[in-house]
Amino acid sequence: MFLRLVTDSFGRRPRRKLLTGAALALGMAVATAALSVALDVGDRLAKEFRSLGANLLVTPQADSLPLEIGGVDYRPVNAGAYLPEADLPKLKTIFWHNNIIAFAPILEMYASVATTPDAANSPNNVQVIGTWADYHIYLSDGSTFRTGIDKTSPWFHVDGRWFAPDAGTLKRVNVFPPDLPPGAAGGHTHVPIPDECVVGVHLARRLSLHAGDHVYITYPNREDMQNYLGKPSIGCAVTGILTAGAAEDDAVLMPLISVDRLARQGPGEYRKLYVSALTKPEDDFARRDPKTMNAGEFERWSCSPYVSSIAYSIKQVLPGADVRVIRRVAEGEGQILTRVRMLLWLVTGMALLAAAVAVGASSAASVIERRTEIGLMKALGAGSATVGFLLVAEQLLLAFVGGGVGYTLGIILARLLGEKIFGVAPEPTLLVFLVVIGLAAVVTLLGSAIPLRRASLYDPAPILRGE
Amino acid sequence: MTGLLATNRAMFWRIIRRLLSANRGRLFVMLLALGAGAAVTAALLNLQVDAKRRLTTEFRTFGPNVVVSPRDSSDGSKVLAESLFDHVPNHAPAGEVSKAAFLYGVVEVSVLPEDAKPSEASAGTKAVLVGYKHSYIHPERVLPNALAQYEERTNFISSLRCAVGQKLAAAVGLTQPGVLELSGPGIRRSYTALVLPSTGGPEDSQVFIYLDVAQELLGRPKTVSLIQVNAPGNPKQIEDFVASLQTEIPDATGRPIRQFTEAQAKIYDRISGVLNYTVGIVLLLTALCVMAAMTNVAMERKMDVGLMKAIGGATRRVLRLFLVEAALLGFAGGLIGAAAGIFLSIGLGKAVFGVAARPRLIVYPVAVALTVIVAILSAFPLRRLATIRPASVFRGEE
Repeated sequence: MFLRLVTDSFGRRPRRKLLTGAALALGMAVATAALSVALDVGDRLAKEFRSLGANLLVTPQADSLPLEIGGVDYRPVNAGAYLPEADLPKLKTIFWHNNIIAFAPILEMYASVATTPDAANSPNNVQVIGTWADYHIYLSDGSTFRTGIDKTSPWFHVDGRWFAPDAGTLKRVNVFPPDLPPGAAGGHTHVPIPDECVVGVHLARRLSLHAGDHVYITYPNREDMQNYLGKPSIGCAVTGILTAGAAEDDAVLMPLISVDRLARQGPGEYRKLYVSALTKPEDDFARRDPKTMNAGEFERWSCSPYVSSIAYSIKQVLPGADVRVIRRVAEGEGQILTRVRMLLWLVTGMALLAAAVAVGASSAASVIERRTEIGLMKALGAGSATVGFLLVAEQLLLAFVGGGVGYTLGIILARLLGEKIFGVAPEPTLLVFLVVIGLAAVVTLLGSAIPLRRASLYDPAPILRGE
Repeated sequence: MTGLLATNRAMFWRIIRRLLSANRGRLFVMLLALGAGAAVTAALLNLQVDAKRRLTTEFRTFGPNVVVSPRDSSDGSKVLAESLFDHVPNHAPAGEVSKAAFLYGVVEVSVLPEDAKPSEASAGTKAVLVGYKHSYIHPERVLPNALAQYEERTNFISSLRCAVGQKLAAAVGLTQPGVLELSGPGIRRSYTALVLPSTGGPEDSQVFIYLDVAQELLGRPKTVSLIQVNAPGNPKQIEDFVASLQTEIPDATGRPIRQFTEAQAKIYDRISGVLNYTVGIVLLLTALCVMAAMTNVAMERKMDVGLMKAIGGATRRVLRLFLVEAALLGFAGGLIGAAAGIFLSIGLGKAVFGVAARPRLIVYPVAVALTVIVAILSAFPLRRLATIRPASVFRGEE
C-alpha cells in the first residue's frame, strides 16, 4: 500500500513532480559541474604553471662559487666541479618520476665565434651553452621520455628548428664492401654527424646570421682542438635563431656532449641542471626541516609531492649533487595556485548554496500544496508519522532521480568546460556522484522538513473544509 | 470614468497586497529562492571582476618582469648611467611600478676574525658583489625575496652592512653575524655581514650591499649594470609600459622577461577562462533553478485564477495581477539578495585574497534586474492557466 501510494503520487501528477524534479536536476547539475571543475582545476593549473620553467636547480656539491652575472658564469673552464650526464636518466626512476616534467643539463663555455674559419683570433667572448633539446631518454619500461631545454624553458622561441640531439657525435654504420672475400663478415665504421647549433637572436643580428648559415667556434684550448680535429675551429650549421628574452639571446646553444668533448675533452658532463617538476603548494608542514621529523612525519612528507621532497629524492639518485629549490618560481606558483583553488572552491560553495536554497524552496512548495491530501489521509486515520514517512519517501525518491539526472547533466557541462578551457575533460569521479546525491537528499529533506512538521500538526477538518 | 479607474487601480493593488500576504510561508519560500539567486549573482559578478584584478597583482610576486640593460650587452662590460634609474616612471596607468638598480662586479671576500686588524684577513674568495638600490615601492617585487625580507626585518639602511648569500657564506666560513672584508680594485673595507636564507637562485653565491658603496668598491661611480622593473597589469599593459619606457630611455634597451610575461599571459588566460565559464554556468543554472522553483509555487495558484475568472475577471487582467506580483517579489528578493551579496563578496574577497573585494556598484542593479526578469519569466507558465475552465478547477478535476 505504501509503495502504491508513492508510485501513484508520481504517476498521477507528473507535471508537478516534473517541475520539482527539474529544479532539483538543475541545482544538482550546477553542483556537479562546479565540483568537477574545482576538483580538477588544481592539477591542470599546476601543469600550466610549468610554463614558468624549472623550479629546481641541481649543481655539483663540490662546486666552487659561481661568478654569475646576469645569467652568465665568468668562471674559468677548469674551475669547479662537474656532474656526469650519464646519470641523468636516473631522474625518471625516483619515486616522483611521474611528477618530473622535464630536465635539461647546462654546460657553459666561452669561445670565439665567427662567420669564417679564419677569424679564430677574435676574443673568446661568446657564451656557448651545451644542453639538450628534444632529447630522447629510453626508460626501463620501454617508453621514451622527451626532455630538454625546450621543455624546461617553454618560453624559448626558435625560428627554424633545434639542433639534432646527436649532432656532432659519431654514428656507427655497417659497411659491406662489394669485393668482400667469401666468408668474411662485414665491418662497421663511424661516420661523424655534422655539428649543429642554435644562435641567440642578438648574436645573430650582430654577426648577421640566418638559419642555414655556418658559424665557426674556437674554444680557448686551441691546441687540444687542433690535435683532436686537425683544425683549430669547428664549423656548425645554424639550424635556428633563438629568442629567449634573457642572456641566452647572446649565446650559441649546442648539444652538451659536443661542447664538453671539444672544450674540455670531457665525457659529457654538466655544471647546472634545471628540473621542472609538478608540485603541491607548500604549507607549513612542507617547510619543516626533514631532519627534525619523526618516522611517521617523514613518511608523510616524502609521500607528498612538495617541491622540497622532490628535491630530496633527486638528491638520492644523483650522488655529489646539490639540489636547490628556485624559491621565486616555487613560492609564486604555490601562492597563486592556493588562491585560485580557494576561489574556485568558494564559487563552488556559492553555487551549492544557491542550488540548495532553490531546491529547498521548490520541495517546500510541493509539500505546502498538498495540505488537502494530508488532511484527507489523516481524516482516514493515518498517523502523523505515517504521513510524514510517506512524504519523506516521496521526496527522497525525487531527490535520487533528480540528483541522478542533474549529475549526468553536470558531467556533460563539466566536460564542455574542461575541453573549452584546458583542452582536456575532467574525469567523472564517484566522489562527486556521491556528494551530489547526498546533497540532493539532504536539501530536499531540509526543504520539506518545516512544511512537513506543520503538515503533521494539521487538524484535518478545517483543511478539508477548504479553510 | 476617472473615478472608476481609480477604484479599479485601488482594487488591483488591494488584490496584490492580499495575494502577497495571504500565505506567509509561501512568501518566505519565494523570497528565499529569489534572494539566494540574487545574492549569488551579485557576489559572483563582483568577485569575478575583482579576482581578475587581484590575480595580476599576485603575478607580481614572481619578481621583476621588465629589465633595462645597456644597448649592446655582448661583453657585459657596458654599464648604464645611474641617472637612468630616475627616468623609469614610478607609476603606470595600471598601477604602481617597482624598480631596482643593480651594479655587478667581482670582489674578493674574506672573513675577518673579530679581534683582528684589517690587514690580517686571509686570502679572499672571489665572489660577485651586487650593489643595489630601489624605489621603496614594494621592494619585494624587484629584489630577491630573501633580501627584501631581510631589509624589512633589520630596517637595513646602514652603508656599513652587507648581506651574504648562503652558499658564499658557507664557502668563506662565515657564521652569523660576522665581519667580512671586501676588496675591490684598490679598495679594501670591512662590513658587518648577515647571512641570507637560500633562494635557489644566483643570489645564494652573491654578496649584497648598497649601490653607493658598491660603486666605490668597484671603482665605477654613478653607474649601474641593469635596472629591473616590476610593471603592473596584464601582459598587454606590460607591453605598453615597455614601449613607453623605451622612449624615455633611448640609450638603453627595455625588454620584458619572457619567462614570466609569457607564463603570466598563459596562466592568466586559463584562470580567467575558468572563472568566466564557471561563473557563467553557475549563474545560468541558478537562474533556471530559481525559475523552476518559482514556477512550482506559481502553479499552485490555480484555485485563485479559477475563482477570479469565475467572478468575471478578464484573462488579461488576471494575468497582469500575477505578473505584477511576480515583479514585486523579484524586486524585493533582488534587493534583499543584493544586500546579502555585498557582504558575501566582501567576505569572499577577504577569504581568498586577504583584502575585501571592492564593491562594484554596477553589479547590484544588474543583479536586481536579473532577479526581476527571472521572477517574471517564472510566472509565465500562469499564462496556461488562462485557458482553464473555472468550473473544472473547483470540481477538482484539473
